[in-house]
Amino acid sequence: MNPLHLTSGTDDHTAVITRVAETHWHAVADGRTVGRGEAWRRPDGRVFLSIDSWHGPVFDRIADVMLADLPTPLYTVVDEADLDLTSHWRRAGFTTRRREWEYLVPTNHLATGLGSVRPPSGVTIVPAGAADEGLLRELDRTIRDEVEATVGWQEMPAEVLTRPDGTALRYPSKYAVAAESDHYVGLVRVAPVTRRGHIGLIAVRADQRRRGIARALLAHVLDSLHHAGIEATSADVNEANRAATALFDGVGARRAGSNLELVRR
Amino acid sequence: MTKKPGGIEVEGTVLECLRDAKFTVELQNGHRVLAHISGKVRKNYIKILPYDRVLVELSPYDLNRGRILFRYRT
Repeated sequence: MNPLHLTSGTDDHTAVITRVAETHWHAVADGRTVGRGEAWRRPDGRVFLSIDSWHGPVFDRIADVMLADLPTPLYTVVDEADLDLTSHWRRAGFTTRRREWEYLVPTNHLATGLGSVRPPSGVTIVPAGAADEGLLRELDRTIRDEVEATVGWQEMPAEVLTRPDGTALRYPSKYAVAAESDHYVGLVRVAPVTRRGHIGLIAVRADQRRRGIARALLAHVLDSLHHAGIEATSADVNEANRAATALFDGVGARRAGSNLELVRR
Repeated sequence: MTKKPGGIEVEGTVLECLRDAKFTVELQNGHRVLAHISGKVRKNYIKILPYDRVLVELSPYDLNRGRILFRYRT
């Protein structure tokens, strides 16, 4: 953990970059922290980086030290609209791996066109807070096994990942589900992360897709939010997930922003 | 790990989300700063919206710039 000396290039300070812990790096000038770097391992095993600095040259040097200390591949996430940050990472050798759209979804059925949508025959929607936890966990496990066997966790947002302790389903009361006979076939979770809510996950068992179950689940949660006085909610969707983008594009959702996952191989 | 001081940390309220992933934040003393989000906020996929109460670290180089470190629950 030997410090490196540098001149920031934007002022007269000389910053020293030091790995202060296994996953933390600091840039210090005149006894003050002027930049920080952090690495963390996501549940899917990939290592993500973040760097905070006030000046580009300090960012570049923290990145140099972190990249020298850590094995590749390394990942990071940036808001695509943040051109400065994105260019800093590109200078460090990172390239775009995938994009997630942030959709702003209206809740009023007059805007979504979902007013007349009903679940397919034999399927009922169980509202959030009323789902049987055992059946919900069984469905959650089934869907996660399907993800692992098909597209893989690297295509999923971090909030969907299995936790290290295996407790993937943390807030059962936040899930509404689609039920058929004695089992569940689809789920949707609305996370109360902001005042407008956020659709954190919507999923249907592989053998039950193309029946309109996801659309019925979406209609249900949007209607619930509308009755709670919320005019619009948000959802993050992987650009490569054609079914999901079609679902949200089809209900009048607007692409309000995007996040890029960058990788340095 | 020795903790070195960074910039000054102050509470504020988000007034506006700008197009370039930056935010106008009004501090408790009425001063307005242009802020971006910290790596920790980005890492945790925390959404910042107008009227959110946030903790901002001011740049030691420019007191009109800041970094959002934390969003308080509302």
